[in-house]
Amino acid sequence: MFRKKNTAGVNSNEIRAILDEKKAKMKLSLKACAHCSLCAESCFLFMGHNKDPKYMPSYKFLNSVGVLYKKKGNVDKLDLGEMRDLVWERCVLCTRCYCPIGIDIPDMLALARRICRSQGVYPQYDRE
Amino acid sequence: MALSHIFSWTFIYDFIRGPMVWISFIIFFCGVVFQVLRFMYLLKEQPVQKLEPGPGNIIHSQTVSHVKVDRVKTGWFKKGWFKKGPDKKDWMLWVKLSIAGVNPFMTIVTTIFHVLLIGVPVFVLGHNILLDNAFGVSMVSLPENVSDFLTGIVIFCTLIFLFRRLFLDRVKIITSYADYFFLSLAAAPFVTGYLAYHQVFSNYKLLISLHMLSGELMLMAVPFTKFMHMIYMIIVRFNVAGEYSFGNATKNW
Repeated sequence: MFRKKNTAGVNSNEIRAILDEKKAKMKLSLKACAHCSLCAESCFLFMGHNKDPKYMPSYKFLNSVGVLYKKKGNVDKLDLGEMRDLVWERCVLCTRCYCPIGIDIPDMLALARRICRSQGVYPQYDRE
Repeated sequence: MALSHIFSWTFIYDFIRGPMVWISFIIFFCGVVFQVLRFMYLLKEQPVQKLEPGPGNIIHSQTVSHVKVDRVKTGWFKKGWFKKGPDKKDWMLWVKLSIAGVNPFMTIVTTIFHVLLIGVPVFVLGHNILLDNAFGVSMVSLPENVSDFLTGIVIFCTLIFLFRRLFLDRVKIITSYADYFFLSLAAAPFVTGYLAYHQVFSNYKLLISLHMLSGELMLMAVPFTKFMHMIYMIIVRFNVAGEYSFGNATKNW
């Protein structure tokens, strides 16, 4: 858990600049999330993967955008790699997720994708 | 004023039931007003794009965008919604696919919990007597045994939430310590109130002080912490346009 950070190749200032653009909305949304898990069933990937909680919309945004705001953009490639799996492999941005409180989950995941992409972390389908 | 006086039991008790109530209500109302104004500042009127066919353009013409026609041009009440609306089968499908159909148990529990969480304190006899003594006005009150029973239901609902958090994998995975803290903070006024009413412990004064203190803390926490979903839900779902919004929501952020 407390591994040493290797921030080589990651521009924290750039990440921070993107985070600041949507700071008000994202922070409010992250704070308003009651961690109720009622969004789970609205995700078809969650339903299609034997209801694996790691496919829950709230899990996805809490562990991507939530972590980015918590660490204020100070993440390394390993963190971003985990986020890449989260926001590309486990989400297709179909925008069908439903939050009873009204949190805009797709927007948050799109922001996480944007940040990953800005640091050169994204799926390279031709190589993998 | 001597320091020993400030830390004395009577001073703390008087402070909790006196100025602290005013402070917490002022913080609560000012905080709510501040958050609402902040939301209104963040929310913008959604620009409606004109029909411009071509790749990459979202078509918002009236013939295509049923959302716009339904929500903005003619309200459901003008269109004769009840006359030519969807038939019974569609309604059943709609309910089945909604959160109430997918997760009926949680929907019922959470609805009851939230209604009672706000409703019971307003209609409890004890609170209304205090209001009557202070200002000479009071709300209608529930019979004492009814409010006692409803308090029990609130505590039962929080226990259900707690067990979900502890034992259900999908809730466990996103639970942090803050969730337990705020769940207990929401339950605390009800638990202490219940214990104080039944005089379970001999020290009634201590329990009633804890009851007031937890209620005040909870009120103050509403606009600034996770309890903010109370404001967030109402504002976002009534204002931000989307298929899950209520009413004629036309804003974006």
